[in-house]
Amino acid sequence: MKQKIIFGLLLFVCTLSGVWAQRTTFLKINEVLVINKDNFQDDYGNKFPWIEIYNASPGTVDIAGCFITNDINNPRRYPIPKGDVLTKIKPRQHVLFWADNMPTRGTFHVNFTLDPDQSNYIALFDSDGHTLIDSVTVPAGQRPDISYGLLEDGWSQKRLEEKLRLNSTYKEKNGSELWVYFEQVTPSSNNKILDTNERIEKFKKNDERGVGMTITAMAVVFIGLILLFLFFKLIGNIAVSLSHERAMKASGISKEEAKGIIQTSGDIYAAIAMAIYEATELHDEENTILTIKNTARSYSPWNSKIYTLRETPIKK
Amino acid sequence: MNFLSFLGENLETFLTYTGFANMTVGHGVMLLVGVVFIYLAIAKEFEPMLLIPIGFGILIGNIPFKDAGLQLGIYEEGSVLNILYQGVTQGWYPPLIFLGIGAMTDFSALISNPKLMLIGAAAQFGIFGAYTLALLWGFEPNQAGAIGIIGGADGPTAIFLSSKLAPSLMGAVAISAYSYMALVPVIQPPLMRWLTTKKERVIRMKPPRVVSHTEKVIFPIVGLLLTCFLVPSGLPLLGMLFFGNLLKESGVTRRLAETARGPLIDTITILLGITVGASTQATQFLTINSLKIFGLGALSFVIATMAGVLFVKFFNLFLKKDNKINPLIGNAGVSAVPDSARISQVVGLEYDSTNYLLMHAMGPNVAGVIGSAVAAGILLGFLG
Repeated sequence: MKQKIIFGLLLFVCTLSGVWAQRTTFLKINEVLVINKDNFQDDYGNKFPWIEIYNASPGTVDIAGCFITNDINNPRRYPIPKGDVLTKIKPRQHVLFWADNMPTRGTFHVNFTLDPDQSNYIALFDSDGHTLIDSVTVPAGQRPDISYGLLEDGWSQKRLEEKLRLNSTYKEKNGSELWVYFEQVTPSSNNKILDTNERIEKFKKNDERGVGMTITAMAVVFIGLILLFLFFKLIGNIAVSLSHERAMKASGISKEEAKGIIQTSGDIYAAIAMAIYEATELHDEENTILTIKNTARSYSPWNSKIYTLRETPIKK
Repeated sequence: MNFLSFLGENLETFLTYTGFANMTVGHGVMLLVGVVFIYLAIAKEFEPMLLIPIGFGILIGNIPFKDAGLQLGIYEEGSVLNILYQGVTQGWYPPLIFLGIGAMTDFSALISNPKLMLIGAAAQFGIFGAYTLALLWGFEPNQAGAIGIIGGADGPTAIFLSSKLAPSLMGAVAISAYSYMALVPVIQPPLMRWLTTKKERVIRMKPPRVVSHTEKVIFPIVGLLLTCFLVPSGLPLLGMLFFGNLLKESGVTRRLAETARGPLIDTITILLGITVGASTQATQFLTINSLKIFGLGALSFVIATMAGVLFVKFFNLFLKKDNKINPLIGNAGVSAVPDSARISQVVGLEYDSTNYLLMHAMGPNVAGVIGSAVAAGILLGFLG
């Protein structure tokens, strides 16, 4: 019974962790265009405001069942329909919702629009209708065809602060605001278009000869293995002293004598065992071979006589 | 068109599809390399488990054929070889190999004498020495990282890292890593003799103490936590290595451990070897860069061996007289399990026929596996 309960609990934990892996908390409102005058068109050829959602997780997330709203008092304003395969957002990918107040045009057309003259509150709620996943207030005074979005896809304030702390030139190049205006809008694509690998460029510029990498990496390798060394030195000492105590208790010998027993290595025991085997015949089975090799009895239906059709006939 | 001319045309078309019609000098060279690998594996018994699949894979990958959309080549999407190659390009064969390695490795030597771990760390200088040299030779930092890992002397790690950092160099890196691992008996002994004195070569080390079952069980758990908290990017390799070891040492999952170190690792080794070999199609493989990678690979093994041996000599300066380490086990820090440890034993026996170093050399040898996986994690973290 106890085992069943433990098994049930383990199963529950595993299921929960599986559910967590698929959770919608990784979704972020990534970019918004309030005044779409001469910009991206929907499948019907119309230009409406749009809201881009980004999946910041390393797994696919299904946005179906969640709610998008522009009203803080009505979190369930637009329920994203279930059963549409397109609601599954692949890792680090985007989906675009058209704020055209025409939900009959498809899953990605919400039942509200964005106000070009006032600030717009936009929020994404989880399928329970009250857990807020992400929200943004797009300030009033938006200009046509200029979107308002996260500096880089899916970033949070914490991530930006970390970047500013670790990269002294980042602020100079990109500023220090999380939400910025994009003159070149990027619907359904990355907010920051990368033409180079920033990290590699950094290494090329600052560590031309690889000395910095060598010093850093070797330091980390040494630290890792020194930590292991220290831990197992400690564990080893504890194990040895416990063995001394056990030997003292079992044989009633002094600490010094116990030390002598414990310091004997395994190969000496093996040699003694072998010598006893060779020198005496005090064993039960005469045919047994003492070996350090594993005994193997390979079996396969392909080599078994029982299974072969061409069994050798037995003469009687 | 009469029947005979129809047959003639058909025959002519067929001939354009044959290997003879599409043969180039590059294919010839690569076929020769494949045959040499197979020869080394059978006649010299240099890493036959790896060189036979890789050598034969080279033959498979270099049968010339006409590109007629028949989905034959390893680089053609949807071909059988391409599907098997996904395990390499997506990087899931190496962690499975590590699972098997973990399930067959006895870390007792390391646990009983944990200071040997530091030799495994020192030998990783080979990786970063080669990284520096690769940068000097004009490679990009990510490519240099992929090349440097050859010095870790660990095939699965080299494949895993190069598939992430520089997929275009992966064939050359893998072939180079496995070739030099097979050539460990040729590369290491002269360096070991050159860097040590006669007196050092006959140092007798204390026999390792008996390690308790509890210590063996704690090792993979603490090993995983300490190394992966420090370098999470090493998780695929280190996670599987320590998991495999726990299967072995727990004593209650014998069947799983046997599968991991038996049928599983054998299956993956076959698939990995044959596909890595087949990925060396002459058109993709025979470049100046491949030659440079081979040169850098050799240098990385030399640097790693020297760093291991010299580190032991340096370390001995701080150790008591009866605790000294024989520097002939320094070479074993480069991984290449268990060949480099065997080299320590062979060279040690040349100078004292009763001084068995194998058990002691296994310590730095398995520490080298951990060290190279940590180093790969760092390179991936910085350059990935």
